[in-house]
Amino acid sequence: MALTPTLAPGPQTADAGRSARGRRGRVKTPPHRRDNRTAYLMIAPMVILLGIFVMWPLVYSVYLSTYEINFYRGSTFVGLQFYRYVLESPDFWHSIVVGLYYSALTVPAMIIIALLLASFIKTLSRRAAAFMKTTVYLPTVVSTVVASVLFVLIYQDEGVANWLLSLISFGPVNWLNDPQLALPAIAVPGIWLGFGLTTLILLAALLDIPESYYEQAALDGAGFFARLWYVTLPLLKNVLLYLFVTGFTLAIQMIDLPLIMTNGGPSEATNTPNLYIFNTFRDVTPYATSYSLTASLLLFVVIGAISAVVFRLVRSDKAIDG
Amino acid sequence: MTPRLFQRTASAVLVVLITVSVLFPLAWMAIAGFKGRNEVLRSPFQFFPDMWRFDNYVDIARDPEFTRAMGVTFAGALIFTALSLVVNSLAAYAFARLEFRGKRFWWVYCVMPMFIPMMAILLTSFMVVTKLGMLNTMAVLIIPGVASGAQMFFIRQFYLGFPVAVEEAAMIDGASRWQIFLKLFLPQSAAPFVVMGIASYLAFWNAYVWPILTITDPNLTQIMQFLGTFRSARGNDWGMLMAGSTLASLPTILLLLVFQRFIVNGVRISGIK
Repeated sequence: MALTPTLAPGPQTADAGRSARGRRGRVKTPPHRRDNRTAYLMIAPMVILLGIFVMWPLVYSVYLSTYEINFYRGSTFVGLQFYRYVLESPDFWHSIVVGLYYSALTVPAMIIIALLLASFIKTLSRRAAAFMKTTVYLPTVVSTVVASVLFVLIYQDEGVANWLLSLISFGPVNWLNDPQLALPAIAVPGIWLGFGLTTLILLAALLDIPESYYEQAALDGAGFFARLWYVTLPLLKNVLLYLFVTGFTLAIQMIDLPLIMTNGGPSEATNTPNLYIFNTFRDVTPYATSYSLTASLLLFVVIGAISAVVFRLVRSDKAIDG
Repeated sequence: MTPRLFQRTASAVLVVLITVSVLFPLAWMAIAGFKGRNEVLRSPFQFFPDMWRFDNYVDIARDPEFTRAMGVTFAGALIFTALSLVVNSLAAYAFARLEFRGKRFWWVYCVMPMFIPMMAILLTSFMVVTKLGMLNTMAVLIIPGVASGAQMFFIRQFYLGFPVAVEEAAMIDGASRWQIFLKLFLPQSAAPFVVMGIASYLAFWNAYVWPILTITDPNLTQIMQFLGTFRSARGNDWGMLMAGSTLASLPTILLLLVFQRFIVNGVRISGIK
């Protein structure tokens, strides 16, 4: 569950078509060619582990969300009561807004930076490109905790950020204590941590575009921006949408950065959905457990709904074949 | 200056600029580790210390809590990585090559967890591991995350691309499925194993929320847990905190530098297009 899904292949994987064909072709496999026993033994460890630590907790979450858990009096069935509480809670909706705002601050910026960087790296020589790829990826392996601690220091009154501002005779600004500035300030390490992988994925996609397209466009007199707009972007559409969806689902679930940097403050300005749920779970009031479980399930629904809409948009419009 | 020379100079300048701005926070972190207690946040700002002192690095490297956290996390990460590669590649092979009853169902079952947000099951997972008596053990850090739909999917994609001919020849020679997996597939799995192994290792090394929920035993404190609570536990000794953060980032950075080309290629194998 701790694994980042970012390396997971998208829906358009190269082999998807082949495997689907293979499956259909093999439906009529004669029984003696089947390997039921071996196959079950091979998938057993995975199936059992997922069952205990993913599937059961999910079912249990849904079940518990319909009960009021009280450690003193036992639990009572309350139906969908908690769903109403959560949906009527302004704090829950506020956290969703914070999560959406955080996603809006990070995801587009990350993708634009990554696209520019990837286009630039593509023009470099082999060795320079290898060097840049490593450089760009380096922040990605730094932990969110280290980045949080580091940026807390950068944002102190005497920190680097205020020193840079003072160069243009501005500031000092109280970054993490200003409700207006705190979330954008947290978005900066968020982008810094995430743009590396995005750049590498976009670079891989860029390298797949045949050079002849650009030559043709150049012959037709297209400049850098015209080529970007008419050749690169249309061909990258699927990758970009994939990056938007995965970027969004990761961004709206951000918890480590605000947990360490601000713990949701000032005045709840950085209380992202997961942080809100996490903190209600640690709350001692008797309703807290069911309440936070319900909130986490509703967040799942919100994320799922938004991703489904975006994926539908991708599917409805076939890619231009490169 | 010829246009070509101009272009090359401009590229070189850009490379330097980007490198400096991307790596600035990391460089500043490493250098702040050499500063005295009150020097890290001093006005006016200074990038380099007045005097390079090694006390912070030496002190933190001698601090038994820090070294224990590093050691425990490192050992856990190695076991976690090995276990997850075994479990996920076995399932990946079965899904790539074997035909069995209910394959479709189990496929969806194994891949679906990729789409379940961590928070939706975090709280009940916590209850489950509590019931199983796993709190404050290494097992609670390692076992729950071992099976990974994303990792299995990735390795399966790779196995699908293996030629079937060699395998059929081995079958005719009487090799079992297990032998084929062990003798034909595993030896050729270096590329996906490195990519996914690094992902597993990083996920374990950088984990924060799960450890602070499940580990209270100081003997098992994880490295990120140590750093994340450093400020409340020891006050604002920024220089030492930066030295500790730098040391804690070193293993992952080294790992990246060693396996750098696999990561770049791995992004391509995964076929995101």
